[in-house]
Amino acid sequence: MSRSDAGSDDAGESDRLPSIARRVVAPFVDRTVAERLVISVAAILLSIVVGFAIVLVSGRVAQCGTAAWTMPLTGIGFCYDPVEVYLVLFNGALGYPFAVGEPGLFNPNWTPFNLSLGLTLSETTLLIFTGLSVAVAFRAGLFNIGTQGQLVVGALATALTVLAAAPFLPEGPVAGVALIVVGTLAGAVGGGFWGAIPGALKAYADANEVITTIMLNFIAANIAYVLVLEVFRAEGSSVVATEYVPEHARFLPWFFPESSDFALLALLVGFGFIGGLYYLVEHTSFGYDLRTSGVQAAAAEYGGVNAKATTVRAMTLSGAIGGVGGAVWVLMSEGRWLESVPALGFDGITVSILAGNNPLGVLPAAFLFGLLKGGALEIGFRTDVPTELVGVLRGLIILFVAMPEFFRMAGRYAGLGSRGPRGPDAGGSGETEPADDAAAVEGGEADA
Amino acid sequence: MRNPLADVSIPVLDDLVESDYVRSLIVGTVGVLGALLVLGTLFPDSVAGDLSGIVFSTSTAASTARLAAPIVLAGLGGIFAEKSGVINIGLEGLLIISAFASVYVASVVGIGNAVLGVPAIWVGFLAGIAASTALAAVFGIVCIEFKADQIIAGLAVWLIALGLAPFMSTVFFGGVNTPNLGARVSWRYSAVMVVVATLASWWALNRTAFGKHLRAAGENPKALDTVGVSVSKVRHAGVLLSGVLSGVGGSALALSIGQFVGSGETMVQGKGFIAIVAYLFGNYNPLGTLGAGVLFAGLDAIQIRLQQLGYAIPDTLVQTIPYVVVILVLALVGRTRLPEAAGEHYETED
Repeated sequence: MSRSDAGSDDAGESDRLPSIARRVVAPFVDRTVAERLVISVAAILLSIVVGFAIVLVSGRVAQCGTAAWTMPLTGIGFCYDPVEVYLVLFNGALGYPFAVGEPGLFNPNWTPFNLSLGLTLSETTLLIFTGLSVAVAFRAGLFNIGTQGQLVVGALATALTVLAAAPFLPEGPVAGVALIVVGTLAGAVGGGFWGAIPGALKAYADANEVITTIMLNFIAANIAYVLVLEVFRAEGSSVVATEYVPEHARFLPWFFPESSDFALLALLVGFGFIGGLYYLVEHTSFGYDLRTSGVQAAAAEYGGVNAKATTVRAMTLSGAIGGVGGAVWVLMSEGRWLESVPALGFDGITVSILAGNNPLGVLPAAFLFGLLKGGALEIGFRTDVPTELVGVLRGLIILFVAMPEFFRMAGRYAGLGSRGPRGPDAGGSGETEPADDAAAVEGGEADA
Repeated sequence: MRNPLADVSIPVLDDLVESDYVRSLIVGTVGVLGALLVLGTLFPDSVAGDLSGIVFSTSTAASTARLAAPIVLAGLGGIFAEKSGVINIGLEGLLIISAFASVYVASVVGIGNAVLGVPAIWVGFLAGIAASTALAAVFGIVCIEFKADQIIAGLAVWLIALGLAPFMSTVFFGGVNTPNLGARVSWRYSAVMVVVATLASWWALNRTAFGKHLRAAGENPKALDTVGVSVSKVRHAGVLLSGVLSGVGGSALALSIGQFVGSGETMVQGKGFIAIVAYLFGNYNPLGTLGAGVLFAGLDAIQIRLQQLGYAIPDTLVQTIPYVVVILVLALVGRTRLPEAAGEHYETED
């Protein structure tokens, strides 16, 4: 912190923010919600356009018997049909509510409680927690890349706690609720502890949290793996995994098929977390401390905020939410701790960035990435296109979200933003929203 | 916190290594290795004997060179980018894309064939470098021209490569892992490239006008602009160099095996992130980066040999050591100082 003070005593550069993380956060804090929304939507559309091109190009080089799609006017055949890819991706992720190529727009046999939508919502639920975890740290000016590790530790804590506590309680719904609560708390404690480490290192040893959290991810994965391999491995299990937690201690899939691994209750808990964190960040004194130290640590310190303590608290809270995500992963998806934990924590970073680090924005962002995940499975079933395409789309979305200036330039180039100079700090005005959006996509197509 | 090793003086290296921190790291590493050699020679039947037998064996040297190449080369690249003021957290992505491109092009050319007298495997090597440089160029344009946030854009580079390489592998080869080429680049080439690149980087950073411009672009871009050097151009050069060096590292990694493995985190397995740690550990000094990279790779190589000798240490735990060491060093020895203007955009005032 002392270094940052020295850096910002330049009177002319009062907006210069000290650490990397604060620079990362600055554009999100400065911009208005409306402009953030426009840029996020434009980024998604642009990445869909680029993804379209990638599918076309790879469809040109791939080997196939008959062309799946022929380009209008030119007659050039392609192995993959990009239109179909996106139809399958988004329609399939919802369980095909729209009837394509049939009379009528909607599929009459569609119910919301289908397997595909269940898978999509399952992923959405998990991403809500990891997205919130990253967003909370971001708001405090901390770049928590370690949600993955916090989730791994939290998940293991949950699995072991529930397994240890289950024999002492009689089977039944009451015991189930108790076990779920205790297990989730254990996950929060485990993840919170793992998050507190980089927080304390940042606050008291000035160790860059980007580096320490990356390291702690590797350490968490390795230690959890060895612990389960050597001590807690289920007997006769072919993979490195703990025993299954008892059935009654899991989130039950009320309406959805069991194989979708989705529980409506867990999603409702996620909604509760979103609302709670929004209130905490925006309407409490702790949230105020958090945000001010995120925007300008020196000013916060001057205003009476204990920046060091806030750093540790924010990272602990962030880790605890990540740990709850791990708990939900164990109690809803897998039923046990299992090696090769999915990269939910890393996806949480992308969710948070797309959401502009706003807890309310985490919901649509998590749903979008949930759609991509659910749709990827459908792409694998229904088309020849490799499902890794979805990973590329994810990267592209993040890349485009990171470059708001590009969309402003595109807007200006199209003559729509020429009403006045719009510096990087000038927020987008509400009335240019849709126009800006369309212009941005056009500009993107020209660029791609 | 005062570092007790900082006062040790090595006359030969003093000229090269100006930082106390780097010097203490070097002294520490040499000290541990020396102690191991002495102990191993005195007690050949003990654990120390086995360990020194492993540490000073050719096969360990070979696998160390193989494992260190991507870490050190990407780390050197990271120095160039970060010194110029662009934090490149996407080194991992550059390694992934070059690893895939090198194997892909080598297999398209066909082992045994040659283009303009260059054998296929080296054509692949160059293609890997080209792919990585191209991706770095995109990253540079996004960060410098479109003022994207560097950390997020870097993450995006990683995510894009992480999706694109297995995607392309599936398109071309029908699976996320490519078939083995049946030919490989010897570890000796990797070792030579690492040493040459380290020395060349040190020379370029400390003894050339370009190096001065690079450091100025990261520390005080306004001053550089005032003397009439384009900050954007210097930063683009820094980012492109990070692409070239990471490309060498990624190609060396994949072609030393002759295959690209795209499952999970791909065959790169976080080496790009370790590279960032290596250059921070080496305090932006190429020699320190070499030391840190060899240290991490060496630990990994020793661990592999220990497994083969039947020591029942879970290999995952040994792999954890470098990460723990990094955290301890960051917490105890002190932080490394980022270039003053790293991560900031620079606006020219024409």
